[in-house]
Amino acid sequence: MILAAAMAPEGFTGDREIARLRKGDPDAITELIGRYQHRLYRFLVRMVGDPATAEDLYQQTWIRLMEKIGSYDARRSFEAWLFAIARNLAIDHLRRRRGISLDEPDVSGRVPVERLEASGQDVLTQLLDFERAALLAAAIGELPVIHREVLTLRFEEDMKLEQIAEVAGVPLSTVKSRLHRALEGLRARIEASGKGIL
Amino acid sequence: MNEHESVRAMLALAGAGLLGPDELRRVEEHARTCALCRADLETWAAYAQGLRKLPQPSAPAGLTERTRAKIIQEQAVAAGRRRHAWLLGALAAFGWTGSVAFWVVARALTGGVFTVMGVNLVNGLAWSLGSTVLAWTTAAAAAMMLGRGREMRRFL
Repeated sequence: MILAAAMAPEGFTGDREIARLRKGDPDAITELIGRYQHRLYRFLVRMVGDPATAEDLYQQTWIRLMEKIGSYDARRSFEAWLFAIARNLAIDHLRRRRGISLDEPDVSGRVPVERLEASGQDVLTQLLDFERAALLAAAIGELPVIHREVLTLRFEEDMKLEQIAEVAGVPLSTVKSRLHRALEGLRARIEASGKGIL
Repeated sequence: MNEHESVRAMLALAGAGLLGPDELRRVEEHARTCALCRADLETWAAYAQGLRKLPQPSAPAGLTERTRAKIIQEQAVAAGRRRHAWLLGALAAFGWTGSVAFWVVARALTGGVFTVMGVNLVNGLAWSLGSTVLAWTTAAAAAMMLGRGREMRRFL
């Protein structure tokens, strides 16, 4: 229920809230934070792999948004703009922290499985779902940042390829090739572990 | 690259639902007659399905409240910074206006000549040099005072 409430409804543009923010209405930011809380936090956890850092980056994202709200172009998708701010902060953080190349495999960014909740119908299905999901989550955590990014934006945030291109600041063809390589990398890791997801 | 190889290269994106209608039709037509590609397509579809059902990291309790409090704190700091910038700007403008006004009065009172140690102090160049030195000294003193005030508030 919480997740459902946090999902931005179809067609939400944020226009009303942004207009209120520009007028200095502090309640508008609370509404936006509440609306995107779970999605933005989840995206940042996937990007940096650490809940505490994700929370810090989450707060910085909203502070940055408040600083830049005057220059926001209302013709752009608000959601893509918000995620682009979060994405840039996460990338800056990863570059500073590890000084690693963003397209190299990540050996430290594993998503902690114990924080994850499974869903399913019966106990066996739930167990299998949980095992499969934990396997996938662990494999995603090992992928390069630019691959984790496109996978989570596409499959968890359900963004269109055009929106992902806007968030990542790359051409559509690059998004497609990154998704392709991300899926191949994911499958190679899972198969190398000797397990399958079918 | 033959048809089989070229379709194989598209299977990951096809299973993930990321192909356009023409490409998808091509993949489906080939998969109907190729068991290997059909099996692979099913595997990719399972990956895509698994990715949509990943376990969700739950946002920590009170995240919205903490974020809001942090924003308010940051806004207060930014407002303070803006206030200081305005104050320094106003002081600088006041200083220069006062200096020019005082120069006009000094010239009127001295008849344009007021020599000390061989330098005419009410001469335009000497006056602006003196004013510049005085303005910079005052600005530095003000900046130091503001900085000390901030440190004191942080300490308290």
